[in-house]
Amino acid sequence: MTPPTQPPDEGFHENELASDMNVSQVHGSILRERAEPCDGYEPIPLWLITLFFGIIFWAGLYLAYFSGGFRADVFNPAQVAWAGGGAAKDTGPIDPKVLGKRVFTQNCVVCHQTTGLGVPGQFPPLSGSEWVVGSDWHGDNHLVKIILLGLQGPIQVKGNTYNNAMPPWHQLSDEQISAVLTYIRSEWGNEAPPISPEYVKAIRDATADRTEPWTQEALQAIPGEKSPAPEATPAAEAPAPAAAAG
Amino acid sequence: MKPQSLISSFNPANNPDTLASHERAEIDASTRFPVLLFFSSAIFWLLVGSLFGLISAWKMTHPALLDQMAWLTFGRLRPAHLNAVIYGWASAAGIGVGIWLMARLCRVPLLHSKLLISAAIFWNLGVLVGVLGILAGDSRSIEWLEFPGYATPILFVAYAFIGIWAIIMFRFRKPGHVYVSQWYLFAAFLWFPWLYATANILLIWQPIQGSAQGAVNWWFAHNVLGLWFTPIGLASAYYMIPKVIGRPIHSYYLSILGFWSLALFYSWNGMHHLIGGPFPAWMVSASVVASIMMFIPVVTVAINHHMTMRGHFGALKWSPTLRFTVFGAMTYTLVSLQGSSMAIPSLNTLTHFTDYTIGHAHLGLYGFFTMMMFGAMYYIVPRLTGWEWPSAQAIRWHFWLVAIGIILMVVSLSIGGVLQGLALYDPQVSFRNSLDYATPFRWLRGISGFFLLGGHLVFAGLFTAMLLKIGRPKDGPAYFTAPAKVEASPL
Amino acid sequence: MNRLPLIFLGVFITFASSWLGLVAYPFLTLGRMQPLPDEDTGGYFPPSKSGLAIAGQRAYAANGCVYCHSQQVRLAPLSTDIAKGLGPRQTVARDYLRAQPAFLGTMRTGPDLSNIGVRQPDANWHHKHLYEPRTVTDWSIMPSFRYLYKLQKIEGQPSADALKGLSGPHAPPPGYEVIPSDDAKVLVAYLLSLKRNYPLPESPEPPTN
Repeated sequence: MTPPTQPPDEGFHENELASDMNVSQVHGSILRERAEPCDGYEPIPLWLITLFFGIIFWAGLYLAYFSGGFRADVFNPAQVAWAGGGAAKDTGPIDPKVLGKRVFTQNCVVCHQTTGLGVPGQFPPLSGSEWVVGSDWHGDNHLVKIILLGLQGPIQVKGNTYNNAMPPWHQLSDEQISAVLTYIRSEWGNEAPPISPEYVKAIRDATADRTEPWTQEALQAIPGEKSPAPEATPAAEAPAPAAAAG
Repeated sequence: MKPQSLISSFNPANNPDTLASHERAEIDASTRFPVLLFFSSAIFWLLVGSLFGLISAWKMTHPALLDQMAWLTFGRLRPAHLNAVIYGWASAAGIGVGIWLMARLCRVPLLHSKLLISAAIFWNLGVLVGVLGILAGDSRSIEWLEFPGYATPILFVAYAFIGIWAIIMFRFRKPGHVYVSQWYLFAAFLWFPWLYATANILLIWQPIQGSAQGAVNWWFAHNVLGLWFTPIGLASAYYMIPKVIGRPIHSYYLSILGFWSLALFYSWNGMHHLIGGPFPAWMVSASVVASIMMFIPVVTVAINHHMTMRGHFGALKWSPTLRFTVFGAMTYTLVSLQGSSMAIPSLNTLTHFTDYTIGHAHLGLYGFFTMMMFGAMYYIVPRLTGWEWPSAQAIRWHFWLVAIGIILMVVSLSIGGVLQGLALYDPQVSFRNSLDYATPFRWLRGISGFFLLGGHLVFAGLFTAMLLKIGRPKDGPAYFTAPAKVEASPL
Repeated sequence: MNRLPLIFLGVFITFASSWLGLVAYPFLTLGRMQPLPDEDTGGYFPPSKSGLAIAGQRAYAANGCVYCHSQQVRLAPLSTDIAKGLGPRQTVARDYLRAQPAFLGTMRTGPDLSNIGVRQPDANWHHKHLYEPRTVTDWSIMPSFRYLYKLQKIEGQPSADALKGLSGPHAPPPGYEVIPSDDAKVLVAYLLSLKRNYPLPESPEPPTN
C-alpha cells in the first residue's frame, strides 16, 4: 500500500471551525493513517454460487407449497386451496349435533376446553359431571338455568370445589342452547337424553324475572326435574319451579 | 446509458485515488462540528436509553419496583428505552459516522454543514419530545414507531435536511471510483425516509384498518434494522477493516453480490415477526423465504471481511477500532444466521413470543450495530478533536464491560427463551409454570444491564475527555499494546 | 459500480418490490375488508365496539399493554394456542377490522388476550387485577396500575363503582374505597370487548379429535 504522504506545505489552509486545533496533533493521527480503502479482485467462490442457486430452488418449492395459492383469503399456510362455501347457513335446518358442537366451540371451549375436562382448580369439567348428566340432586332444569343466567360462587363438581364465575348465555337462541346442551350430554362418554328447544323456552319464560347469576345454594333449593322427550310438550312443570325459584 | 459504459461501470480496474494528508485534514476539519454534535447527542441518549433499559429489565423480575408513578410503568418505560436507543443513540451515531465516511469517500470537504447542524438540533428535539411523550402516556404502542404524532414531524424535518445534504454531497463528490461503503450509505439515506414516511402515513396519520397495520408495522420495523442500520454498520466495517490493517477488500465482486442481494431480500423479511398471524399465507411464506435467502448476502459479506482480515487478526490485539469493528462484523454474521433460523416455522414455534426474540434483537442492534459504532467513533473522534484517547486501559474497561454484558444478556435470554417456548407449547404446562422457566434467566439479563451501563459510562467519560482535551498530551495513539510487538510475530 | 443513476435505480426497484408486496397489497386487500353480516342476530362479524371500548384502546396504547400481551390465536401444529383454549379458531384479518391500532403483539410475557372478554367476563375482576394483579394471581409479574385508581374516603354510601372483594395487604383501610378513574373504566370496557369467538368463513374451526 502507498505509504503515508509527506507533511503539508506552506499553502495549507484549514477550515475556520478547526482553527483552534493543535496542528501537530491533527497531523499525527492523520499521518499514521493508511491509504483510503480500495478493492481487491478475487472471484466469487464457486461453492457460494452453487449455494445461491440451491437456496433459490428451495425458495421456489417453498413458495409453491406454502402460499395458499397466493389468495388473500387463505390464512393457513398448510392449506393448499380453500374450497370455499362458508358456513351452511342457507341449506335448511342444521343437524343439532353439528350446531351444538359449533356453539360449544365458539363459546365454551375457552374455559371448559375441547376435551370437556376444564382446567383443574379453575374451570370445572363437563365430562362425567353430575351437573351435565343430571345425577344426584341435579336436574335438567338446573342445567338450562345455568346456561341462561350463569353460575358463580363455590360449587362442587365430581368431588372438587370450584369458585369462579360462569357468564350468562341468555343471548343464545333456544335452538342454540338446546343444541349445545344436547352436545355436551352425549360427548366425552356422557350419556344423557337430549334437551328440546321448547323446554329451554319454557325455563327461559319461567325465570324471566331473575337477572342475577345462580349459586349452588339457590339451585339446590329447587327440586330437580328431567326434561320431557323433545317431542312432548313440557306442559306441567313450569309453574312449580317458578314459585320456588329465588 | 450506452452498454459500453454500463459494463465498464462494473470494471474493478478503476482504483480510488488516495488522499493526501492535508486533504484528509481539511475534510476532517470540515466535518468536525456536525459529527461531534451528532456523537455527543448519541452518547447522551445511549446513557438515558441504557438506564431506562436497566430499570425495565428489573421490573420484570420485581414488578413492584417503582410502580407508583404512571410515567415509570413498564409499558411506558420499555418503549421509551426502545425509542431512545433506536432514534436517540443508534440513528444519531449512524448519521454522525455516515457524515464522516461520506466526506472522506467523496473526497471533498463537507458542504453546507449548517444543514447538518440544524438537522442535529431538530433530531434531538424530536427524540426528546417523543420520549417525554411516551412517558407522559401518548405512546402509540406501535412497535418502533411509538413517538406521538407531535414528535414525528420534527424528526421528518431533521431528516429532510440530512437527505438534502446527502444528495448534494453525492452530486459534488470527486469523480472516480464509488467505493462499496458509499453504495450502502447512499441506499440507507434513500431507504430510511421512504420507510419512515410510509409507516407514519399508513399507521398514524391515515391508519389503514385491521391486521394490515401489523404488516406495515413490521415491514417498517424490520427494514429500519435491515435497510437503515445494517447498511450504515456495513459501510463502517468496509471502511475501517481495510483502513486499519492497510489491505484492500478481498473481492469487489463479493461486495457487489452482497449489496444487491441485501437490497433485494432484506426488505421482504418483515412478516417473519408475525408467523402464524392473521395474514394471508403467502405473505408469511414470502417472508420466510426471504429470511432464508438472507444467507446469501450475509455469507458473502462474511467471506469478504474474513478474507480481508486473514493473516491480520493480530491487529485485534492493539487496535481498539478494529476490535470493536470485528466484534460487530462477526456478530452481524451470527445474528443474521440466527435470524434466518428463527424464521423457519418449526423453530419459530419455540421462539415466537418469548424472550429469545429479545435476545436476538439486542444481539443485532447492540452486538452488531452499537459495537460497530463504538469502533468507528474510536477511529473518528481523535481526527476531529485533534486529541488522543487519554487511556488505553479505560478503553479496555469499556470493551470488556460491554462485551461481557451483551454476551451474558444474549446467552441468558436465548436459553430462557427456548425453555419458555417449550413450556408455552406444551398444553399440559400452565402459563404460571412457563413463567418459572423464564424468571432465572431474566435475573441474569438484569445483571448484564449493569455491565452495559457501566461500559457506557466509561465511554462517555472518555468522550468527554476528548472534547475537553483532558489528560496528559499523548505522543501516540491509545492502542492496547504497541503494534510493532504484534506485527513482528507471525500471526 | 460507479454510475450513481444505476445505483439509484437498483435501490429504488428492489425496495419498491417489498413496498408493493408488504404494504400496498395489504392496503388494497386486507385494508378494504368489510365486516360480514350475521343473519342470526342482524349484527356484524366482528361486532362493533361500544364507545367505551373504543376509548379503551387509547388507554391500552398509552400504558403499553401490547409489550407483554399478544392478541393472536395461531393454528396447530405451529402452536398449541387452540388446544390451550386461547380461542376456538385462528384469528384472521377480519377480526381486527375495528381495532385501532391492531394490537397484535409480539411477546407473551403475559397471556394472550384475544378472547379475554370470554374467559373473564367480570368487570370487577379486571379492576382488581389492574389495581393489583397479585390479589387475583399471586404469581403474576404484571405491574400494578394503581395510578389508574383512586383511594377515597367513603362518604355516606359506598360508590357503585368501588372495587369489590379487595383483601389482604392491598385492601383499602376501613372507611375507604377504591374507585376506578375514567381511564380504568374504558380500559376494562375494552378488555371485556375482546372476543373473537364468532364464526368467520375464512377461518374454519379446526376439527376436534
